[in-house]
Amino acid sequence: MFDWFYQIQWEYLYNPELAWQSVPLLMEGLKVTMIIALFSMFFALVLGLLIGVARMSKFWLFKLPAKFYISFMRGTPLLVFIFILYYGLPVIGIQFNSPIVAGIVGISLNFAAYNAEVIRSAIMSVPRGQWEAAQSLQMNYPQLMRRIIIPQATRIALPPTFNIFMDIVKGTSLASVITVHELLYSARIVAGRTYESMTMYITAALIYWSVCVVIGFFQQYLERRYNRYLNKQ
Amino acid sequence: MMINVSNLKKNFDQLTVLESINFSVTKGEVVCLIGPSGSGKTTLLRCLNLLEKPDDGTIQIHQDQLSFSGAPLKTKELIRLRKYTGMVFQGFHLFPHKTVMENIIEAPLIVKKYTKKRLVEQGAQLLKKVGMLDHKDKYPDSLSGGQQQRAAIARALMMEPEVMLFDEPTSALDPQLVREVLKVIESLAKEGQTMIIVTHEMNFARRIADKVLFMDEGFIIEEGSAEQVLDHPNEPRTQAFLQLLDDE
Repeated sequence: MFDWFYQIQWEYLYNPELAWQSVPLLMEGLKVTMIIALFSMFFALVLGLLIGVARMSKFWLFKLPAKFYISFMRGTPLLVFIFILYYGLPVIGIQFNSPIVAGIVGISLNFAAYNAEVIRSAIMSVPRGQWEAAQSLQMNYPQLMRRIIIPQATRIALPPTFNIFMDIVKGTSLASVITVHELLYSARIVAGRTYESMTMYITAALIYWSVCVVIGFFQQYLERRYNRYLNKQ
Repeated sequence: MMINVSNLKKNFDQLTVLESINFSVTKGEVVCLIGPSGSGKTTLLRCLNLLEKPDDGTIQIHQDQLSFSGAPLKTKELIRLRKYTGMVFQGFHLFPHKTVMENIIEAPLIVKKYTKKRLVEQGAQLLKKVGMLDHKDKYPDSLSGGQQQRAAIARALMMEPEVMLFDEPTSALDPQLVREVLKVIESLAKEGQTMIIVTHEMNFARRIADKVLFMDEGFIIEEGSAEQVLDHPNEPRTQAFLQLLDDE
């Protein structure tokens, strides 16, 4: 009944020596991972802000395309979208000159939809009294947005935005399937050469985790800064 | 005439909140608006500040007039009248991410582009007047309701409005905090500030009001001095409303 347990070959669970030797290669991969992640997050934020604002507009010409975009991007797997970009577009004559660019474009466009929803919900969760107080003080729309609403919405949007950032960091691993030499790809190369798949993928997982831990610290720092006006009781 | 409102109407979808409102306020006058909940007092006040857009009628404030009977007005025209009024809300609505001083200098700094140095001086004077100077560097979240409301009054005053509008300024306060806010409003009245106050504090209205308007179901039912309206009402509906308050 417990035969399977006795068949486990523990000696292949983790090979620290191999892991240590592959660190330089994995770091090369991590560099690519972080480049894709940071560029993607930046574009996803900028685009998400525009789409989120368009989604809140009362004017159908802004609102409907934004709704459609969000619906499509949230409703399709990122991997499928990356395939469309990298393998589909060349069929009709559009080619990315590097898979990294395709990865950044795919991840940015896809996660912009999530950012748009986070930004929209954060702005809408600022109490109506804040809008009215600012209006009654003669602020116009850009003034009240910039000075009153967005600073308060930022506080609300921080935790979900960092969720998205971590999702993006992990989502970059999908770029390995379009031959981007990022972290997972590097781990796979070593795993394929040495058959030490367990060691290499656990190592990759630990590196992804470490990056997200650092991001988590950064989130904590920002949250503390944005929460300082709240009374701690 | 500081304010002249004629034939003002406001509907929310099917519901008519203001039927036909006519009244005027002279400079330096303190007007108290009383009436049962749902009578349209708050909506009337919000119409004067254009937080609600009236459906018909005219509003004249200072030397400026807007008519709502014709084509829909552009936002820019709508908010033109806002510069004459300052609004104090039932729920204070201070900006939580700014200190008391930052709260009160924010609008003149951004809208009127006054220098910060000048505003901080002016702000300190005003905060002293409302008894909030000691709290100028605190965030709203650490203040009591009464303190927040006094800061909110200072914030509205910083824009130097011709008319101050108060929407039930003490309704959200604990009973022991009501007095400190009413005292500030009374001191403004003594200085000759023109004010319209929606209130349920009848004794306060009696002390402070030059004129009392009783509203019910979208109409101004009765209008006169505090003594007339509150102590010797003519209209049965006013009598019934005041009777109800006495019974409590």
